[in-house]
Amino acid sequence: MADESKPFFPVESAHHVKPPPARRPHSITPESRFWRSFRHSELASGLILPVTALEFSPVAPFHLAAACSAAVHLFDGASSPALAPLPHSPLTSFSDIAYSPSFRCDGALLAAGGESGLVQVFRLDKAGPPLRRLSAHARPVRLVRYPRLSDKLHLFSGGDDALFAYWDVPSEAQVVSFPGAHRDYIRAGSASPTSPEVIATGSYDHSVKLWDVRVPASSNSVLGFSHGDPVESVLFLPSGGLLATAGGNVVKIWDVIGGGKLIHTMESHNKTVTALCLGRIGNESAGRAGGEPRLLSVSIDGYMKSFDFAAFKITHTMRYPAQLLSVGFSPSGTARVVGTSNGVIYMGTKKKRQEENGTRAVTEFGEYLPEPEKQVLRPTNFRYFHRGKSEKPRDTDYIIERAPKVKLAEHDKLLKKFRHKEALVVALSKKNPTSIVAVMEELVARKKLIKCVANLDVDELELLLGFLHKYATMPRYARFLMNLSKKVLEMRAEDIQSNSNLRGHIRNLKRMVAEEIQIQHSLQEIQGMISPLLVVAGR
Amino acid sequence: MMTGGQSFVSSPPTFSNDGKKLLVCTGFTVSIFSTSTGMKIVELEGGHTDCVTSVIVLPVAMSSSKLMSYCWTSSLDGTICYWDFDSAELINKVNVQLPIHSMVIPNISATGTDKKASNHYAFVSVEDVNISADENKALRGKIQIFNLTNSHRVGGLLAETRNPELLSVSKNGEFLGITNKRKLHIWKIPAKDFRFDEIKKIKLHHTKNLTSLAFHPNMRMLAGGDVTGRILIWIGFGRRKFARNSQIDNGVKDATDDENPGVRGGDDAASCSTWHWHSSAVKFLFFSSDGAYLYSGGKEGVIVVWQLDTGKKKFKPRLGSPLVYFTESPDPSLSCVSCANNRIHILKMPTMEITNSIAGIKLPFPFTVEHKGYRTRVAYEQTNGLVAVLTEDYCVQFYSLFDNHEVSEVQVCKRNFQPVDDVMLYVALVAISDDGSLMGTIDVKLPEESLGELISLKFWMRGSRMAEYSLSTIIYEPHSDAGVSCLAFRPGHGMAVTTSFGGEFKAWVHGSHFKATDQLIQRTGWRCQSVGSYKGKPLSAAAFSADGSVLAIAAETVITLWEPDTNILVAVIGDTHSPITELSFIGKSEYLVSLTHGSKPQLAVWRTSKLGLFWSYKLFAEALSSSRDESQFAVLVLINSPYETNVNEDGVILLFDVENPVPVATWMVKKAKGGSLAFLHANPSFHESEATDGEKPTLLVYVNGDHEYIIFDPHSKDNITCKNTQKSHLNLEEAGRFGYASLYGDLSKSNLKQALVPEITFVPSEKPWETIFSGSSHVLPPLTKLCTTFLASLLEKRPNIDD
Repeated sequence: MADESKPFFPVESAHHVKPPPARRPHSITPESRFWRSFRHSELASGLILPVTALEFSPVAPFHLAAACSAAVHLFDGASSPALAPLPHSPLTSFSDIAYSPSFRCDGALLAAGGESGLVQVFRLDKAGPPLRRLSAHARPVRLVRYPRLSDKLHLFSGGDDALFAYWDVPSEAQVVSFPGAHRDYIRAGSASPTSPEVIATGSYDHSVKLWDVRVPASSNSVLGFSHGDPVESVLFLPSGGLLATAGGNVVKIWDVIGGGKLIHTMESHNKTVTALCLGRIGNESAGRAGGEPRLLSVSIDGYMKSFDFAAFKITHTMRYPAQLLSVGFSPSGTARVVGTSNGVIYMGTKKKRQEENGTRAVTEFGEYLPEPEKQVLRPTNFRYFHRGKSEKPRDTDYIIERAPKVKLAEHDKLLKKFRHKEALVVALSKKNPTSIVAVMEELVARKKLIKCVANLDVDELELLLGFLHKYATMPRYARFLMNLSKKVLEMRAEDIQSNSNLRGHIRNLKRMVAEEIQIQHSLQEIQGMISPLLVVAGR
Repeated sequence: MMTGGQSFVSSPPTFSNDGKKLLVCTGFTVSIFSTSTGMKIVELEGGHTDCVTSVIVLPVAMSSSKLMSYCWTSSLDGTICYWDFDSAELINKVNVQLPIHSMVIPNISATGTDKKASNHYAFVSVEDVNISADENKALRGKIQIFNLTNSHRVGGLLAETRNPELLSVSKNGEFLGITNKRKLHIWKIPAKDFRFDEIKKIKLHHTKNLTSLAFHPNMRMLAGGDVTGRILIWIGFGRRKFARNSQIDNGVKDATDDENPGVRGGDDAASCSTWHWHSSAVKFLFFSSDGAYLYSGGKEGVIVVWQLDTGKKKFKPRLGSPLVYFTESPDPSLSCVSCANNRIHILKMPTMEITNSIAGIKLPFPFTVEHKGYRTRVAYEQTNGLVAVLTEDYCVQFYSLFDNHEVSEVQVCKRNFQPVDDVMLYVALVAISDDGSLMGTIDVKLPEESLGELISLKFWMRGSRMAEYSLSTIIYEPHSDAGVSCLAFRPGHGMAVTTSFGGEFKAWVHGSHFKATDQLIQRTGWRCQSVGSYKGKPLSAAAFSADGSVLAIAAETVITLWEPDTNILVAVIGDTHSPITELSFIGKSEYLVSLTHGSKPQLAVWRTSKLGLFWSYKLFAEALSSSRDESQFAVLVLINSPYETNVNEDGVILLFDVENPVPVATWMVKKAKGGSLAFLHANPSFHESEATDGEKPTLLVYVNGDHEYIIFDPHSKDNITCKNTQKSHLNLEEAGRFGYASLYGDLSKSNLKQALVPEITFVPSEKPWETIFSGSSHVLPPLTKLCTTFLASLLEKRPNIDD
């Protein structure tokens, strides 16, 4: 049974309002730690116009394409530590605003739409005119996508003319097209990661439709469902069975295999969600395989959220000082970019871990390298004497807790020994008003304060007067300290007269009392003005 | 009828031989507690008719296998009783005729098993009641010797003192001592063949009054404590006088005077040294059983452990109360210390860790100053039959009246308690709401020369368990400078009222009622709802009616009735001669009863419907309680008239029916000053036998000035309805292990005989120690068992000379 003798109570001022128990520091989850480990910088700040799309190349070195104004800017993913513009960028063969850059699966070509309705395909290794021009749209093309799954020949596009087209790029011909696929602008689309023929599009008519490009053009969409708001972004999740759509201030997760059933609605954004992309947490070497996938969403409200679609839970939130329009996450897992409406691209980069070197020995040669033999500790070694000190108890071990050591402030220790004056002086020299008042109140409770004051040296009296000057009129302590000041002045008048320093303190005290009286006068005036009003109001 | 609340610390407790039981003198009886659980096992009752003053347990003789459970007790009624405390049976009774204040039986250990053969001699310290205390230099204390076997007095007086003193005896029974003012009287008692004229005596002198005394267990060493806190240690006392040849040589005494450092004026001791730590009188001194340490304690509430060789000190602080006695058990890992606040701590010895506490009801603490009319009363928690007692160390103790044990303790002020002469901080009031869910306390900090005065009102909420309260709100200076006179809770509402001597009362409400209206400020604490006053008169008492619809507040000599919610004055009743001190509504009736103290004390019953006096008495009533359901109330009246002959019974409880000024019943009680009354509803679990007739009887509890209480049914005709026999429904005989077994576990059941029978037969030789250890080591019984046999075999049987 525990020892029932009383605990030791440190002195406490009665007037000291205890601060509410300190909020436990928001414990950082490993996930938050991961997201915070990115180093922030601005990638490009001179663009002025909105960055409407950000796209990472699917192959190393993971170049970044950013659509802004009438150009697509390219950034070198290989440069370290941060991304840097490629030498031949930007691609500027656009007559009007460029939209929706998309890399081919091998990263060699880039397709982009534009305000003019033209879809252009560029090569990336050197600057030059576009290789192919696909023209069918009459209105701006905001959606151009290469399917990601080893399909080098086709891409699809969707435009403000509600036309959805599937192209054979080499021949610049439409394989299949669905005019009037939606009843409003098509702004979003995504190809299924498991079958490249299945494509989801989202439109401002609130609907999301799934198309199979193998069926004849006359047939309708495979599946359609309503998101409830103009759809800004559509993204297949890696399994191919789930589809995330963003529109309004919600992100919805749909089960497309199960016939378009709504699984989850994420409503943590305050304004329109503008873009979605996939990210991975954890820094397992080369990115692709390791880490749990996360859905990153950005919104006009300036927040980027990381959503765990396995647990349907927001795992991290980040705030940026601008409206966010686009987001990208490097497949290498080392870079995260966010495009804003004022042309700034915010970038978070992470150093590549060099841990491959360690594992390479095993993987390349396929043999086990024996670990360096552990040195046997001898009594000549210093560490010999520290053996087992850091040993952790096992679950089965019976732990005998050492009684927690009571930490006492110095004045408490002195009070325990009944050294009252010293306790008062120590508290005064620490200059913490609550503990000083607490010690004084304790001394009053022991009937020792007057005696202590009488015994103070001149230096210590100076400390006390300094304290009184500072705090005697503080409302919380005033009742007690005013009386004490009076008492001190009565008792130590002779000492004060004989010492100029003390006289200075007394002058300060006097001035402060005068100020306080002034304040009280003005307060009374205010009260005098208010009370008739209150009486009138009371009737 | 049930009694309870006895003091556990009136005299030192005693451990039983196995250290599992503690025999505590509780009033007229001896209660036996289990040291492992701290619960009462059994009570030795029926033997004594006055307070028991000492208990002596017969020690176990070495050869005896079964634990003996016999004890001697002495009492103020002048008898010595012999008990079997396992079965709680009285065996024998010896009449001494004078009140015994202390008793020791020095050679009790030397008597062995057959107690018939030898005589027990009891040394008793009695008070001679024939000599009046008023007489100047009257020697009322006497030390006498009794032969307990044939209950005859032996010899003359050993000593006469002003007051009966506490006897102390050395462990082997060789020495006996008392403190007598500035002297110690030490007697040497012959161990064998006790004869009165062989008792020799020495005196040791000191310059201060001595308060305590202890003998070293095996050396000729003696410690005495004085009123200033000094501890004097005499070494080698009585070398000359108690020498075996008993030849007193006066010439030698003078010669050796210089060689005895510290010994005063030719006292018979080798040396005397002084230790000083205590700041006030040393209340107990105790040598540890191995003789290496000395324990001392006193008012500071700290056990000081002195290492005898070096004088180094170790402390056990914060026991919360002045210490009175220290007792050691036969089990060296167990001892107990009695605190003045009616609590016995059982200590685990080398570490002085408190393993258990036997807590009685806290005693009322004396007030040195008259504190502005605060009447430290106890409060009652009706639902569970608890009484809340204010304690000196800023706590409220909850004590179960029916079960007669402590339930919990609530620390009101977080301050380290130091027993001091002038109390500067105390808990002045406690009030508990009817359902027991709320508690309010007021603690007062007195000013030091008008500096730092503080009154704080605290509201507490009950937790999940019975009598477990947590602090909800602190209100500093609820009535600015003025003292709070009364705190009352409104039945059925989260509302309380405090009245002050400054002339205003405040109604406090619990904040949760206003959560809905005030969305922004979500406070759950208490706040002031309204303030009222009546003509600026100091208010002294407040009471709510049973349904909480009317608030009555006494403003000096009149009673004002208020609407509690709207704070509107409804009516003013009557006029008394002097200020009203207590108010109460009587049950659910329209009547109100008030008490008045002062020069013209009055007990008055008022009728609220007529707004007038119904009937009144001129009585000085100390306490008042009204039953909740019936229209009855009880008052405790102090009899302070000089012509009253019976000094013991200074109070009368009067039970009134409100319609009739003739009391329904009266009872005479003792120690009524500071007492209180309350109606309780019977605890159904306890009154199983009485619950058969269907109705729960209302019981009246009277707590006297010493916090002893009695519970009785005011309507039953017969005097005694039931006894507080909480017959050990819980079997407390745990398989506790001590000594060797606690260290190494139980011994294996190897039989000594079996183990010693080897395969081959052997001829018992003349020297049994040669064969006793023969055999392989793994079949040998443990050394502890072998040792006695071995040692016995070494002893030669003495031939019987007489034959």
